[in-house]
Amino acid sequence: MVYSTIRDILQHAAEKFGTEEAIRYKVGKGATESKTYLQLKGDSECFSLALQELGEQGSHIAVTGPTSYEWLVAYMGIVNGGSVAVPLDVSLPAQEMCELLDRADVTTFVFDEARQDVADMAKECCPKLKYLISMQKESRTEAEQGTEAGDVLSFHGLVGRQTGKFTDMPDPDKLCTIMYTSGTTGKSKGVMLTHRNMAENATCLDMKIPERTVIMSVLPIHHAYCLSMDILKAISLGAIICINDSLLRVVKNIKLFQPNMILMVPLMIETIAKKLEDVSGLPKKLVKRQIFGSQFHTICSGGAYLNPAYIDLFEKYGITILQGYGMTECAPVISTTVSWNIKKESVGQLIPNCEAKTVGEELWVRGSSVMMGYYKMPEETAETLHEGWLATGDLGYVDDEGFVFLTGRKKNLIITKNGENVSPEELENKMSEERLVQEILVRENEGVIEAEIYPDYEYAKKKRITDMEAALQKIIDNYNQGAPVYKRIYRMKIRETEFEKTPSKKIKRY
Amino acid sequence: MYEKLVNLICNYVEVKPENITPDSRFMEDLGFTSFDFMSMLGELEDEFDIEVDEQKAADIRTIQEAVTYLEGLVGQE
Repeated sequence: MVYSTIRDILQHAAEKFGTEEAIRYKVGKGATESKTYLQLKGDSECFSLALQELGEQGSHIAVTGPTSYEWLVAYMGIVNGGSVAVPLDVSLPAQEMCELLDRADVTTFVFDEARQDVADMAKECCPKLKYLISMQKESRTEAEQGTEAGDVLSFHGLVGRQTGKFTDMPDPDKLCTIMYTSGTTGKSKGVMLTHRNMAENATCLDMKIPERTVIMSVLPIHHAYCLSMDILKAISLGAIICINDSLLRVVKNIKLFQPNMILMVPLMIETIAKKLEDVSGLPKKLVKRQIFGSQFHTICSGGAYLNPAYIDLFEKYGITILQGYGMTECAPVISTTVSWNIKKESVGQLIPNCEAKTVGEELWVRGSSVMMGYYKMPEETAETLHEGWLATGDLGYVDDEGFVFLTGRKKNLIITKNGENVSPEELENKMSEERLVQEILVRENEGVIEAEIYPDYEYAKKKRITDMEAALQKIIDNYNQGAPVYKRIYRMKIRETEFEKTPSKKIKRY
Repeated sequence: MYEKLVNLICNYVEVKPENITPDSRFMEDLGFTSFDFMSMLGELEDEFDIEVDEQKAADIRTIQEAVTYLEGLVGQE
């Protein structure tokens, strides 16, 4: 069944699976709690009503935190209530997050208390912000809670005091979510997705996944891939969504939740493969039972390219890996493999709402998942959207059966194995602020981000810097300390000569 | 703790124990990925019945830093 709004997906699931378990999460060591589909729908409607009461219906509401029941209720409450959700990466430095709050014209910020620092900074730096809502703050009486601008409101308090239902239906073609993604120029871009983009992407393909499948969600929730497949598709199937509380505990939580299926990025698959190889002398059935449990059968891989050798390896253990391809601008899935039709070298078949063509070796796609554009970035939008076609920035082609094959990348973006997009220019610009760094080139090398630096030798001489490597490493260490893990530089090369330049005096990248 | 950590490291990356020093950096020198590192700490959580803070773990760079952090947690238990 194809749905055109997230509200339709949730409505249908609540009607069909009402009192069945929807979300399962940890509440302590080894203990879990769960919420039903009716609770998820009811609580999210209460949050829609709360936003309406605050006069925030239709506004841009940011939400940040690790995956939690509160996060999901907030997101559903925002978008199903006709507001625009802006999911933000919980690991971003406070200043960067405040900049995004401002650029996205956010007026209410829903945050996990782990990012109280952002809330504190936002009070000072984000003049458009009216309300701060803490997901953990104790609920108090209305009088105590306060609704003055700048007050921190309690999410549970706001949801708990609402009664009744929210019945407005959102327009499928209105803006639903703004998701930030790294831009090639170093400035992240807000991808504008409609309700239809999101809902049809999640539901247009019948992957023959049985209803009530147990899915463990391990990816960051602000990612389009996680939100679309782990959450929206899972809800459309009446699945039990188990929330992994930390990347430290994936293996432990697999034992606890006993999932049938997990969405992963190649980085995770590679680490688990090492574990499998470690015990390669033992019977495969036993190893699979020990690590995943006998109920486990499928991994969906996305975010970055996975070497097909891993598909073969996991197959030996009775686990199917379904590789997909997509980008946030396409809400995000463009193609996916289905278990009954696999071509290992391909990144799957185009999903039914998507068509593709090759324009000068670059893959262009069109369909109901293609974004509206980048928020307040008309030039970047015009560069990417061409009469409904989205220029992916990836080189590739589609065969007669609709299988997509990728051959390279046109855009200058590092796609890390954990599916994060990193703009080399962003890192280069930050590092260039250092006087000792005269020229720098950032790239990916053997799975990690590497910086090649041509130092300012004159400056070093003046400052009597004798150990150049130590001095540059210190600069990198300082940068790394304030950067999210996936943007950290783990390798450095020092040049003795300047980089070769293009006629316009830019460093030649390739 | 140091020996235990070195043995565990060898399950994640192709490196001989004698080539590991307290100053070895997980990512840069030993070739760990961020997820390798998190998974390894997860194993140590079980072994020592401790709870590692993901944010603090992300700032650990060397073996010595890991040993100091983990020993601190074990001491608290």
